[in-house]
Amino acid sequence: MTKTHYHAIGKKTVRKDGLAKVTGQEIYTSDLFLPRMLHGRVLRSPYPHARVKKIDTRSAEALGAVCITFKEVPDITYAERIVTIPQKTFKDRHVLTDHPRHVGEAVAAVAAETAELAEKALGLIRVEYERLPALFDAVEAMKPESIALYETIFFGQEELRVSNNVAATREIIEGDIEKGFLESEIIVEEEFRTGRVYHAQMETKSVVCQPEADGGITVWTTTQTIHNVRQLLGEIFKIPLNKVNVKKISVGGAFGSSIQMNSVVPIGVALALKARRPVKIVLTREEDMVDHCKYPSYIRLKLGAKKDGKLMAGHMRVIVDIGAHNTQAYPLLGCMAGWWVSLYRLPHLKFEGKAVYTNKVPACAMQGFGNPQVTFAVESLMEILAEILGMDSIDLRLKNYVGLGETFWGQGPTVRSIIQSCGVEEMLLKGAELSGWKERKKTLEGTIRRGLGMARGFHTSGAGAPMPGEVIDYSGSIVKINEDGSVDFMTALMDLGGGTLDALAKIVAEELKVPLEKVGISSVDTRTTVYDVCTHATRGIYCGGGALHKVTAQAKSKLLEFASRILQAPPHALKIEIDEEAGQGMIYVEGVPGKRISVGEVAKTAQINNWGTIAAVDSLRQVNCPPTFNAQFIEVEVNTETGVIRPVRAVLCSDAGQVINPDLAEGQLYGGLYRGLGYALLEDTDYDKETGELKNRGLFTDFKMLTAEEIPRLEDIQTYFTHTREPTGPFGAKGIGEAALNPTAAAVVNAIYDAIGIRFTKIPVTPEMVLKALNEKRNQG
Amino acid sequence: MKKQIALTVNGVKRELLVNPQDLLLNVLREQLGLTGAKYGCGIGECGSCTVLLDGEPILSCMTLAVAVNGSEVTTIEGLLGSDGSLHPIQESFLEHGAVQCGFCTPGMILMAKNLLDKNPHPSEEEIREHIRGNLCRCTGYTQIVQAIKEVSLTRKA
Repeated sequence: MTKTHYHAIGKKTVRKDGLAKVTGQEIYTSDLFLPRMLHGRVLRSPYPHARVKKIDTRSAEALGAVCITFKEVPDITYAERIVTIPQKTFKDRHVLTDHPRHVGEAVAAVAAETAELAEKALGLIRVEYERLPALFDAVEAMKPESIALYETIFFGQEELRVSNNVAATREIIEGDIEKGFLESEIIVEEEFRTGRVYHAQMETKSVVCQPEADGGITVWTTTQTIHNVRQLLGEIFKIPLNKVNVKKISVGGAFGSSIQMNSVVPIGVALALKARRPVKIVLTREEDMVDHCKYPSYIRLKLGAKKDGKLMAGHMRVIVDIGAHNTQAYPLLGCMAGWWVSLYRLPHLKFEGKAVYTNKVPACAMQGFGNPQVTFAVESLMEILAEILGMDSIDLRLKNYVGLGETFWGQGPTVRSIIQSCGVEEMLLKGAELSGWKERKKTLEGTIRRGLGMARGFHTSGAGAPMPGEVIDYSGSIVKINEDGSVDFMTALMDLGGGTLDALAKIVAEELKVPLEKVGISSVDTRTTVYDVCTHATRGIYCGGGALHKVTAQAKSKLLEFASRILQAPPHALKIEIDEEAGQGMIYVEGVPGKRISVGEVAKTAQINNWGTIAAVDSLRQVNCPPTFNAQFIEVEVNTETGVIRPVRAVLCSDAGQVINPDLAEGQLYGGLYRGLGYALLEDTDYDKETGELKNRGLFTDFKMLTAEEIPRLEDIQTYFTHTREPTGPFGAKGIGEAALNPTAAAVVNAIYDAIGIRFTKIPVTPEMVLKALNEKRNQG
Repeated sequence: MKKQIALTVNGVKRELLVNPQDLLLNVLREQLGLTGAKYGCGIGECGSCTVLLDGEPILSCMTLAVAVNGSEVTTIEGLLGSDGSLHPIQESFLEHGAVQCGFCTPGMILMAKNLLDKNPHPSEEEIREHIRGNLCRCTGYTQIVQAIKEVSLTRKA
């Protein structure tokens, strides 16, 4: 690692929004109360598949409620997720529909003076439904005799026929897999299944809409992208973009649930425009749980290798049950292929993916966008392969991993870049040492059995690449140096809780050599910021921070140019350093005493002399998407009498390049572990096939998550950050967030295998599954 | 018919007119503008709405305002010292990276206060047991437990 002398980067500091958050002053969408504000509620289909034959809102309106149905919203088919370029975007949604395709799909909405009155009005809307046959299984749905959930949808501007309920297919071939498997000496193949997890972000999706006197609309909402919300609202309601203002507001967690413009947003806007008054809708937890979920997966994976462990060929077949809407499953399938081929070198490979419509809750991005699913399959099968080969699985991984100088697919086959920093080997070796990997012993006796498992993974840092691909990826910022040497920056980039904006503030502080407390994160909206695509794909620090770094450097050039006029030395002779005592950045001419002026004095002098404000605005598309690698070593205890699995120890290794917020980066690893453990052991959503309802009825009572009691103790969780720097990242940084969960499920099932000798290929691994498998094993005995 | 109730909220006596069916959470948020307590599930499963009632944690989303007439309510807004200084638990949450999205934070801090008021030096197990009903989706609880533990360690016995 290069020796660095940073005053802000890599330093543990109190997050800038922390004070407001610990004192209850932080404002979220649901905390907004506007004058004359109405409360909105949404009428949702009780059936998984139906046609609305009649709808009567008169009684509700007689109560004084403002009502809208599918008849009164713009007749536009839209896509709620517009990260993908328009010509590759699938559209199948309506603001309100007369053809609900899952329990909970919105058909009408009301707004009234109080939430109570709105609820009452909702109950008075009379709807006559014609029930239609519903589909709850992707394989079943693809049969020609199954009912078609869609006749046509839109692909870009073109109408597209949907056959056999298949929403998207993707086939990717490199090399010749027949040849590859022929040349293989060992072939392993297995089927894997992963659950339909609910995001369970603590703040339910919410919106507040205020119609403006000029015909415009101001919107506050739970989102990961204010600009995409603005563009979609402009498109749906035919309002010029300068009159659609989406305000940035704190989000109570996201995890992918708000990568799209949530369905509640245009409903709120339609109500507010009709009522000509502000409207607020806060989804109940039950409504939130039928809004989105993680993509479940069925993965059949086949790998061929030489006896020395060199991988020769791979074949992956994927079926994803996307539920009732296509929230861009085409890029999902491409990404799944990309995650797979970027884990290990495969000279010959074939990927076949299908995304299938059913009458379930629509699936969307959730931490990893297909990566946890793929990594679960790959890292399970690598362990199986290592055992057959008689190799230590770490050695097998070291032999085959895609590393430095090799090509990486950061966001499917069209987003490729070359890996320029890689801590895989360091993590595998250090993690093995810290976890006692080599010394682990098999004890297949007793009631409580311990096992150690490991898995590795990665995630992309954004979706940048040298060539434009199917994904839009760039950020922009504004930086302004104030007359006292403090700095404001404006970015549309969202902080979803991870501390992304603190990292950005440190990038500004470091580049300008001003104290971190003198850098302010401005409250912004879509009017006052330039475009930022979205906080997704672990792109916040690398892409958003990269753009801000570029803009800060431009502001710095202007600062030095003004300073050169004052100090009468050319700008390139000037240096800048932080003066802790003065609490300022200081500009000076090296070796010339007296030629020294603070950043604030330069800005003030520029103002007095009418030279102008020291500010800059620009955008940046990163031309790389460096993988942020990780490795996890997890120890579990399996109770063979109850089937309960308890994670008891974890070593979490991360290669995030230069770490910017050390404690918050650790927080990302702990959080990823927690949600990964839930993914592996507990979380899923089942359906009642008769009613089409979630068996958990949208309640936390029955959507179980791990609590503080089921997590390894403080002294039993260790984190380790590699000594790497990403040459293309701001101050050597790359992403971290999503990677932190990707290998967890595989590490857990590998640990369970180590403990009881049973391999699970379906997650979550519930106590019932453990007991059943133990019984079967005993009976075979 | 509205009913008049009297509550001492964060040390200030308040007389309020409420409907019999009004929940304490909504009265705090909508009538008093104390939005620190959050709606997370409405059925007492997530703990985001936690406030202290006469020092004991309750789920304000399941508590009728009329039922707590005459009580003392402490919300997250009431934790600051009279000089505006942070409570040691708030300090510790900031110090240990225990805050991410912040939505569960008010409830979590009030639970921690209740624990440490009763048991100044809890074991890690006692901390985990005490906050198990408060869900956090971001942090994995590790830094929250650490923050609470540190307060108990640095406190004079």
